Amino acid sequence: MRRVQAYGPLALLLVVLVVVAFPFYWMLMTSFTPREALFKPPFRLFRLDLSLGNYRELLFATEFVTYLRNSLIAAAGAIVLNVVAATLAGYGLTRFAFPGKKGFAFGTLFSYMFPPILMVIPLYILFSALRMRNSYVGLILAHMAISLPLNIWLMWQYFQIVPVSLEEAAWISGASRLAALRQVCLPSARPGILSVAIFSFALSWNDFTFAFILQTDRKMFTLPVGLATFVEQTGVHWGMVMSAAVLVSVPTFLLVFFLQKYLLSGLRATG
Amino acid sequence: MAFKVRLEGVRKTFGRGARAVEAVRDLTLEIGEREFFTFVGPSGCGKTTTLRMIAGLETPTAGRIWFGDQDVTALPPQQRDIAMVFQDVALFPYMTVRQNIGYPLRIAGLPRAQVDAKVEKVAATLGLTDKLAQKPGQLSGGQQQRVAIGRALIREPKVLLMDEPLSALDARLRVEMRTEILRLHREISSTIIYVTHDQVEAMTMSTRVAVMDQGRALQVAPPRELFARPANVTVATFIGTPAMNIVPAALVASSGGLSIEVLNLVIPLVGQPHGPFRDLKAVNLGIRPQAIRLVRPGPERITGQVFLREPLGLEDEVLVEVVNGTKLKVVTAAGEEFLEGARVGLDFDLADLYLFHPESKEAIHHRIDGAGPSSARG
Repeated sequence: MRRVQAYGPLALLLVVLVVVAFPFYWMLMTSFTPREALFKPPFRLFRLDLSLGNYRELLFATEFVTYLRNSLIAAAGAIVLNVVAATLAGYGLTRFAFPGKKGFAFGTLFSYMFPPILMVIPLYILFSALRMRNSYVGLILAHMAISLPLNIWLMWQYFQIVPVSLEEAAWISGASRLAALRQVCLPSARPGILSVAIFSFALSWNDFTFAFILQTDRKMFTLPVGLATFVEQTGVHWGMVMSAAVLVSVPTFLLVFFLQKYLLSGLRATG
Repeated sequence: MAFKVRLEGVRKTFGRGARAVEAVRDLTLEIGEREFFTFVGPSGCGKTTTLRMIAGLETPTAGRIWFGDQDVTALPPQQRDIAMVFQDVALFPYMTVRQNIGYPLRIAGLPRAQVDAKVEKVAATLGLTDKLAQKPGQLSGGQQQRVAIGRALIREPKVLLMDEPLSALDARLRVEMRTEILRLHREISSTIIYVTHDQVEAMTMSTRVAVMDQGRALQVAPPRELFARPANVTVATFIGTPAMNIVPAALVASSGGLSIEVLNLVIPLVGQPHGPFRDLKAVNLGIRPQAIRLVRPGPERITGQVFLREPLGLEDEVLVEVVNGTKLKVVTAAGEEFLEGARVGLDFDLADLYLFHPESKEAIHHRIDGAGPSSARG
């Protein structure tokens, strides 16, 4: 009985791990499998005849690098703007009293509950009028529109646990409001800021809908949209698709791997 | 040069309309140079709000605050020559002790070498020299409080504000830090304005104390005077432990003049009925527990039954139930006499009695004299 209690959860985790990890493994395996070997039986779980051919083709024969650059620019922009806006908004919401604060709070959460797809058409019309389609600014703003409400809410919660007396002590020491915010408040809110950055990155990096609708010029495609075109061409080159998928997952993996400590504490603060 | 801190008709109201809360109502007082001035009172009495207004962290709803000849009412905290120690210590968690103490000087833009030299000097007086490289989280509560005081002292402020700095510490450390703060007050030339809910802290440290209740200063006086001549029932019961006994008594006119009838005693007042006693039918009588002696029950004394006897070491606290459920607290030497349930007589000097107005609760200063308790009625 005790043994079941001890190993039961472990066994369950193992099953879940296989289910979750197997697709990743298969993706990795396929990406290194030469094109001609891919559909030739036997289909083995392990193989040794690995090659970098898919990667070479991906990087030099397709526009993958352009897509990657576009994605990185969009994600970097989304991170910077989200962090600045969410930090200032969260700070303002906890430290100042102003009319309509409750309505703002309600509106923020409410707008997050909207399905993002509802915003695509209005944004398309708006950005067409403003000539902001096929631009980085437009795409970054679109990504912000989805992620900013949750980010504001996150920072709002975070600043609530940073004691006001820290800032007051800084003011009395002679620091201006901005200096106190930078030197005293922000270091304490660092885990929250990192959470915002990671969330903004993930949302921008994974977005298909907005990029697909707003970016009609091939040169402005982001990775998710660009990868989709790989499938739509004459045939599906699965080895290349899988090698692209591997490269797309690397930044996300690294980010979560190195920052998970902060990510968890950031989410815990809001719980 | 130090300066006087003057509050003139200061009010502070939080919120608006029906939900408005008056934290401070019409406070006028002056705090002298180099004074150790304490605001004491129960929570919600407005003492912390008053301190925060002096600091510039709150703006008064009405009234003015003066530092010497300068009107600082609208001045932000950065521009007042003050320092403050917070109730929750408020040390910057990501900075070392050295950085925390040196913060005000670094903000002021002093060169690094100068900051370091001053930090080390301040740390030495507070016994923190070997802690300079640590973060606040690694220190004990008492050490953290020392760092907070160090950060406040390093600018050599004209006025040092302290908001319940000892309330988070345990009892023994509190006593230790009390001595420490007193020593600092002697060494530095700052005025200290101190806020506490602990009347012992107020009494032991201050040159003057303001007893606050419901946003008003009930009495502003040196500690001994607060104890000896409380202005009203609230001050009388707040200052001194255990609290002063307050008993309702009747005021009757007899052939010899006015006398007070309390329990089964008649106490004649000296002199003619006049002034504060005009038209009064009753008074509140106060007596401190330490002023009552337990004696054998006799015909000429208030008698009662011991309800509870709590040994405190050198002394015992005895609760005596006298007629109709009234209980009086008495502090007496530890002993085995008059245990719970015993009949006991209460003896006291008339000079130790306090008189208060039954409605306004203000003190009535009138000499009650005589060799001892007068004869019982009937």
